[in-house]
Amino acid sequence: MTKDQKPLDPALIDAINGPKDVAKTGKRCLMNRRQFLLTSGITTFTVMVALKAGPSAAKVPAVVSTYERKFIGKLSELKEDEPLDFTYPDEGAYAESMLVKLGREAGGGIGPDKDVVAFNYTCTHQGGPLQGTYKSEDKVLGPCPLHLTTFDLTRHGIFISGQAYQSLPQVLLEVDGDDIYAVGMFGLIYGRYDNLKG
Amino acid sequence: MSTPYYIPETNIPLPPVDADVISTACDYCIVACGYKIYRWPVKGGKVGGEKAEENAFDVDFPVDPLGPWVAPNQYNVVLHEGEPHHVIIIPDKDAEHVNPSGNSSIRGGAIAQKVYNPQTPTRDRLKSPMIRMFGVLMPVTWDFAMEIAAEVGKYVIKQHGENAYCVKTFSYGYMENTYAITKYALNSVNTANFTFHDTPSDVSSTPGFRDAGFDNFGPAYEDWRDAETLLVCGTDPYETKTILFTDWMMPGIQNGQKTIFMVPRKTGGIAYAEKNGGMWLDIQPGTDLLVVNAIARVIVENGWEDSDWIQKWVNNKWESSSGFGQGTRNTPWQWRTTWGKFQTAGFEDWKEWLLSQDEFAPEKAAEIAQVDVEKIYTAAEWMAKPKEDGSRPKTSVMIEKGFYWSNNTGNTQAISALGIIVGAGGRPGQVIGRAGGHQRGGLRGGKYPRNKSPEKLPGRRRRAMDTDRYLMSGHTRFAHVIGNTWIQSMCGTQSLAAKFNELTVENPHQIRSFDKQEIIDSLKRRVDSGGMVVVNQDIYLVDPIGARYADIVFPAAGWGEDTFTRANGERRVRLYPKFYDAPGEAKPDWWIIARLAREMGYSGFDWKNSNEVLEEGSRFSRGSRKDFHMVKVVAQREGKTLHDKLAEFGTNGIQGPVLLQDDGTLVGTKRLHDTERKLPVDGPSGSNRLGKKLTHFNSQTGKCNIQKSPWSLFSDYWAWLKPKDDELWVTSGRINERWQSGYDDRRRPYIVQRWPENWVEIHPDDAEARGIENGDYVLMYSDRIPVQKDTIIGVEGDDFQFTKLMEHGHIELTQGAITAVAIVTPAVKKGLLYMDFLHTAQPANALSGRVVDWISGNYNYKMGVGRIRKIGTSPYKTSYRSMSFARRDIA
Repeated sequence: MTKDQKPLDPALIDAINGPKDVAKTGKRCLMNRRQFLLTSGITTFTVMVALKAGPSAAKVPAVVSTYERKFIGKLSELKEDEPLDFTYPDEGAYAESMLVKLGREAGGGIGPDKDVVAFNYTCTHQGGPLQGTYKSEDKVLGPCPLHLTTFDLTRHGIFISGQAYQSLPQVLLEVDGDDIYAVGMFGLIYGRYDNLKG
Repeated sequence: MSTPYYIPETNIPLPPVDADVISTACDYCIVACGYKIYRWPVKGGKVGGEKAEENAFDVDFPVDPLGPWVAPNQYNVVLHEGEPHHVIIIPDKDAEHVNPSGNSSIRGGAIAQKVYNPQTPTRDRLKSPMIRMFGVLMPVTWDFAMEIAAEVGKYVIKQHGENAYCVKTFSYGYMENTYAITKYALNSVNTANFTFHDTPSDVSSTPGFRDAGFDNFGPAYEDWRDAETLLVCGTDPYETKTILFTDWMMPGIQNGQKTIFMVPRKTGGIAYAEKNGGMWLDIQPGTDLLVVNAIARVIVENGWEDSDWIQKWVNNKWESSSGFGQGTRNTPWQWRTTWGKFQTAGFEDWKEWLLSQDEFAPEKAAEIAQVDVEKIYTAAEWMAKPKEDGSRPKTSVMIEKGFYWSNNTGNTQAISALGIIVGAGGRPGQVIGRAGGHQRGGLRGGKYPRNKSPEKLPGRRRRAMDTDRYLMSGHTRFAHVIGNTWIQSMCGTQSLAAKFNELTVENPHQIRSFDKQEIIDSLKRRVDSGGMVVVNQDIYLVDPIGARYADIVFPAAGWGEDTFTRANGERRVRLYPKFYDAPGEAKPDWWIIARLAREMGYSGFDWKNSNEVLEEGSRFSRGSRKDFHMVKVVAQREGKTLHDKLAEFGTNGIQGPVLLQDDGTLVGTKRLHDTERKLPVDGPSGSNRLGKKLTHFNSQTGKCNIQKSPWSLFSDYWAWLKPKDDELWVTSGRINERWQSGYDDRRRPYIVQRWPENWVEIHPDDAEARGIENGDYVLMYSDRIPVQKDTIIGVEGDDFQFTKLMEHGHIELTQGAITAVAIVTPAVKKGLLYMDFLHTAQPANALSGRVVDWISGNYNYKMGVGRIRKIGTSPYKTSYRSMSFARRDIA
C-alpha cells in the first residue's frame, strides 16, 4: 500500500486494528483499507459557518471543502450513548466515523437536545483506531491504544489529555425532519493531506 | 497572543521530491525527539503529490498509522535567505534512537507553529533592540543600545562592585549560548550575583544524588524500559516528557514492569500503569521522605536489601572519610555533613539510624503522608523482595521536580539510600536518575566565584549567592536577564515583583531624553540612588521583566535561527541547524553577549559564528556527562568544523561522554556508572578522558555514600506550612500541552483553545464544601506566604533551620493571590490544589514560600498553601469552544 514504510510490529498491528469485536462486525481493518475514491473537480472556498447552535451563535469564516450531503440515520432511532458507525466523507482510508447521542448538550450538537454529534474515528496523533473506545460516563473517545490520547466529544473533539496534533475531526451534521445528514468536516483526517482525497 | 478561536484546516501542501530535508531535534522537553524539516520555495508554486514518487516522504497518501502524516499544525511558511519557503516539520520517521517509531508529543508535534511568521500569533517576536524612552520601549540600533548598556554596566561594576551586576540566565538555551554567557558573567564580569532560570542560587538541584555519587542523567532511556520495578517520584513522564513514557516506559509496562508513581495527582500515564498492574502512591505534599524511608525500613527489616551490591559498592566509614585536598573534604558533601546530620559509617550504621527513627515506621509514615500503609509494604516487596528462584527484581528509581522541589535535600538523600539498597545505579535496567525537565545545553565558560558570595552557612564553606534575597536587599544595581521570566518562576512571586517595581519604575531617574549621553547619565543616577537598571534579552517581550521593568531589550534568535548544539536526558549530543532567517534584527544570544563584552572592553569574544564558539568551548565539556571534546579532535583531523562533524550524526547524535578509539572512530556512552562496561585496559590515549563516572560513582573511592535523611531538618517548616482551617495545599507542575511559561503555546490557537488561561484542579469534596463547580472562576489567596529576608552569616548549627529563622525575625509573612478556572476532579488528592507551574499572568509560585532549603539553597517550589473561593463564572462553563472539564486520568 505504501512504499518504504517500515514493517510494523504485529502487536502494534493488533493494537491498530482495534478491539476484536470491531473486527467481528466485518468492518475493514485499518491496515487493509485502501479504497481510493476518485474525486475530481473538488474546490475549496470560504463560507460562513455557525460554530455553536442557538440564537447567540456567531458566524465565523471557515475553510470548508465541498462535501457530499450524506444520510446517516434517524434521530428517533438513536439510543443515548450507543454510537452508530458510518463512513464519511467517502469510503476511502480513515473514513470510518461515529455518530452518538451524548445525552448532554455539546458543541456542534444537533437534535432537540443539541446532543447528537459525529466524529472521525482515527486519532489525529499517529493514526490509532478509536473504534470501541467511547466512554459514556465522560462523553469521551479514547484513550487511543497507541499513545493514550483522549478526546472530549462535548467540545468539538478537543483533546483532553494526550498528544493529538489537532482536535478529532468533527463531522458537521444537519437535520431534515427526523433524518440526519453529514454535510462537511472540521479538521483534517489522519493520513490524508486533503479530506476529499481519500 | 492567540485567541481560543481555533479553526482547523482541512488540507496541507505536500513537500515535493526535491524539498530540502534537514535533520534536527525538538526544542522543548528533555527527551529531545529527532525531527525532520522539509523546506521548499513558495516561488514557483510547486507542491508534492499523493503518489510516493511525487513527494519527499516517498510514500503514498493516505499514509499508514505512524506514517509521515502532516497535520496542519506541522506546516508553516518562513523566510529562508530572504525568500518565502514552505516548511513541514514532523518527527523523524527514520530515527533509530530517542523516538524510534517517529513518534512525538503534542508539544514537539506542533513545533512548526513556533517559527516566526507574521501571519500567525508569532508576529510579536522581538525584532529590534529597544530602549525605554519616555516610558515606552522604542526600537533603536544595536550600536545605540549596546553603547548604553556597556557604559552603564561598566559604571555599575566600577562604582558598586562586580556583585552589583547580576546575570540571571537560562541554563539550557544551547551550548554555544550558555558558553558565551557564562564566560561573560563568571569569567569576565566575575560576579557571584549569577544564577540560572530555575533557582535563586547556582547550586546543585539534587544534593542527595551528588552526595551519594549519582549523576542526574546517568541512565539510558532503555533502562527505564528494562526495569522490572520502577519507582517514579514526583512526575508522570506521560505528562511532561511524553516519549520517555510512550516509547520506553509503556513497552516496559506492557512487558510486566511494576511501575509505582509517588505523586499527589493522577494523570494519563499513572492511570495506564495502574490499569496494567502498577500503583499510585498518593502522598500529600512534602511527605516523600517519610514514605521512602518507610519503604527502606520494610526492606531492611525483611533482609531484602541487595547485600552483594552493598558490599561491593557502598563506602564504609574509612572510605567515606578518605581523600584530602580535592577529595571529599572539599566537596559540598563534606561541608554539609560537618554537623554529622547525614554522614554514616556505612550500611550498618545507616540501617541502625533508619530503624531508630519512629516516624519511619510504615504505619506512622502512612498516617502523615495520608496513604494506605499496604502500599508501602507492596512497594517494598516489588522493589526488593527476591523472587522464588532467589534472583532479585531489577529495580530502578526515577525522580523529578515534584519530588526534589518538595524537600530538596531530605528527599534526595532518602531516595539515594533507597536506590543503593535495592541495587539501583549501575547496571542495565537497574539505574537511578532524574527524568529531566528541559534539555541539557549548559557549557561552562567560567568558574563560579563562590568566595565572593555573602552566603555563609555554619560549617566550612560559602554557598552560592541567593540572587533573589540579594536583590530584595537592594544590592543588585544592574540585572541582566536572559531568556527567563525570573519573577514568576521564583517563589513568593508577588513580593519579588513589588521590589522590582520599586527599584525600576518607581525610581525617579527615568530616561526622558533621546540623547545617548543623557540616557546614560540618568541610568547612572538611578543606580547611584539605590535603583536598578534591567537589561532583558529574549525572543518575546516578557511581562513584567521585559514589558514593564526593562530599560534595554535585546531581541534574541532561537531554535532554527542559528546552528546550535545540545544534549538530551540520556546525554545524546546533537546539532540543531539553522533553517530559516531570524526575524528582523534578532541575534543569537552568543552574538549579543560577544557584542556587549567587546563594548565592555573584555577580550576573547571575537567569534564569527556559532561553530567557533562551540569549538572554543568544547574542551570545557571534558570530564562532564556530555563530554564531546573528542568529536572536535576528530573533526579537525578530518578537516571539518565541529558543527559539520556533529551534523553527520543526524538525529541519532552521539551520547556523551564521547571517547576516541584507537582506530580513530568515536564511541559514545550508553549509561554512566556502568559497572559492567570494559574500558581500554591501557587507559586513555590522546586527549581522551576516562572519568570515574564512566564505570564507577562520583565519589573519591568510586563507591556510593549511603547517607541519613533526617525528617527533623524539614519537619518544622512542613508542620508550620501545613494547611490550617480551610486552607489547602497549593502545588503545581507541568501540564503536557504547555512548555515552560507557554511562550510558544500561548501563540498556538490549538493549544490556547485547550488552555485559554490558568486553571486549578480541586477534589470534588473540597469543591463541594466551597460551592465550587467546573468552570467557576476562583481566587486562591494567602496572607501567610513566608519570605526569608536578610543575608546572614550562619554561626550555630541550626541558625538556618526554619524555626530559628522565625525566632530571629528573618521570616516575613506576605500576601499573595491568583485567579484560575476551577476543574473539579478526583484525580487530585483531597486537600490539595494543583495547577500549571508557570502562567505568567497567574503564577502558581505566588503562593509558594520564598524560603530556601537551608542545606542546598534551592526553593521548595511545590510547597504552597492557601485558601480558595469562587469569584464568578468563566465563559468556559457554558460554551463549548474552549477548555475541557473531562478528567485527564481515563485509562
